[in-house]
Amino acid sequence: MSATLAKGINAFKEVIDTPIASYFSSCVHCGLCAEACLFHNETGDPKYTPIHKLEPLRRVWKQEYTLLGKLGKMLGLSKPVTDEELTEWEPLVYDSCTMCGRCSMVCPVGNDITYMIRKMREGMSASGHAPEDMKGATKRAIEIGSPMGIKWPAVQAQIKHVQAETNIEVPVDKMGADYLVLMSSMEIINFPEYLSAISRIFKQAGVSWTLAPDAFEATNSGIQIGSSDLAREIVSRIVVAAERLKVKCVISPECGHAFTAIRWEGPNLMGKPFGFEVKHILEVLDELHAAGKLKTKGKDKRPLTYHDPCQITRRGGVVEQPRRLLGSVAEDFREMPDAGVMNWCCGGGGGVSANSRAEPLRLEVFKVKKRQIEATGVHTMITACANCRIVMEEGLEHYHMKVEVLGLTELLAEYLVEGE
Amino acid sequence: MTITNDSEFKSAIAKLPRAGQRQVGARFAESVLALCKDARVKHAIATAMRADTTEDELAAALDSAKKASVDSFTLCGKECDWNSQAGHFVAEAALACLKSGTTPAWDAAMHARMARTSESIATGQGTENAESAAQYRILTAFLKA
Repeated sequence: MSATLAKGINAFKEVIDTPIASYFSSCVHCGLCAEACLFHNETGDPKYTPIHKLEPLRRVWKQEYTLLGKLGKMLGLSKPVTDEELTEWEPLVYDSCTMCGRCSMVCPVGNDITYMIRKMREGMSASGHAPEDMKGATKRAIEIGSPMGIKWPAVQAQIKHVQAETNIEVPVDKMGADYLVLMSSMEIINFPEYLSAISRIFKQAGVSWTLAPDAFEATNSGIQIGSSDLAREIVSRIVVAAERLKVKCVISPECGHAFTAIRWEGPNLMGKPFGFEVKHILEVLDELHAAGKLKTKGKDKRPLTYHDPCQITRRGGVVEQPRRLLGSVAEDFREMPDAGVMNWCCGGGGGVSANSRAEPLRLEVFKVKKRQIEATGVHTMITACANCRIVMEEGLEHYHMKVEVLGLTELLAEYLVEGE
Repeated sequence: MTITNDSEFKSAIAKLPRAGQRQVGARFAESVLALCKDARVKHAIATAMRADTTEDELAAALDSAKKASVDSFTLCGKECDWNSQAGHFVAEAALACLKSGTTPAWDAAMHARMARTSESIATGQGTENAESAAQYRILTAFLKA
């Protein structure tokens, strides 16, 4: 056994905790997870059955932690997990799983298959069986602090641009601010309108907020590749900055997995509860709206729909907030079939969009999103995740669909009552 | 009238009819065109600048600009090349003046400034951005013509 394989197998053994052991032992092989999976649903290929993607991890569990499995291993009746097998499984674990959580929703015995995939990626990554693109992103996150190589001067340049555009000062390192605002690399690079929108909204609402040079980046590639050590390091930068600035709340941006990383995995990774709250930007905007602090005027007359980002809606619980916010600015809001907690993934979550090898499959499974949009008859789609946004732009272009995609925060800012 | 600040700039743009906004927005995009190597963007800007462009030509230019914009997004997890990103914002500027937005010239101006900002990040030459002054001159000349 090679050293890297041994490292991977050890990581498999370490991640098999009580939930994973109980999930494997309670699986009834019903196949319902297959019907819920985006990749199985669109291709019909049985290899994309979610529980099948976990087969190497299941074998390690059986051989190491069950009596019959141990006996089988001793007698040579069950074969050990090999490097070749992990090579074969790598595309199943990384290219054809967005960790969207749809399979976990339908499992009749309550197995959180997404949690298992997340844990399996720890062993895959430790054994060197992760996509090259994701390894590169992880290396940059360690060396530069951002998976896309963003440094603070780039953020400063965007701040300057936004300040010139809005005539509003963007606060940096403001001690005692109520909110610490995080951004995703994608927003810094592709969508300067996000920072512009929150600057305008927060000014109108009288919100005390700040950015931090040592913790502007919300993107957490450790969660995607399966490296808890890296994920912890990235979360710790945010915790240190939030504690240094004594903020009451950290705002996760329009980014799916960043919310999972800081809100749900964060305290567990750090091994302690946070001394501050963590909210998604849509939760904050909904609270401001309910308090009468987010005032809008007029409504968008275009028929439009909302794409629920998996990590924000299904895994994150932010379901009603975007609908209430849309209700305030959209005259003709139309739900897609399966909207809400059972929405179909854009196909690019969980690091799939960062993995160029997965592109043909990602575009193939976008067909389900195409059908969802066509059922509404709209030409404008709103979402709250910068990654979903670009993945959908690509899918729409690939299928020659004339649909515009906008961020919800940006849309709200368009209807803001300003200067009154 | 000489434009000297963003307040005058925004106000003057808002008074222009839709076609005027498209034409001057295209001039803002043209001012940063050297940052983009995509021939589709160059063609879209040239089409948007003309006063005698037909609806069919505008629709085709919109499609081209949209394709160029989508092709040049930096995907999640990819290392950002700020020179390429400058090109993306030029495509966005071209797209903005062809779309059916409420403020196409202003949107095109902002994307053109982001193109210049991206260039300054790529070269590491600070955050100074003289594009706004260039846009004031372009708009002043357009209004006088």
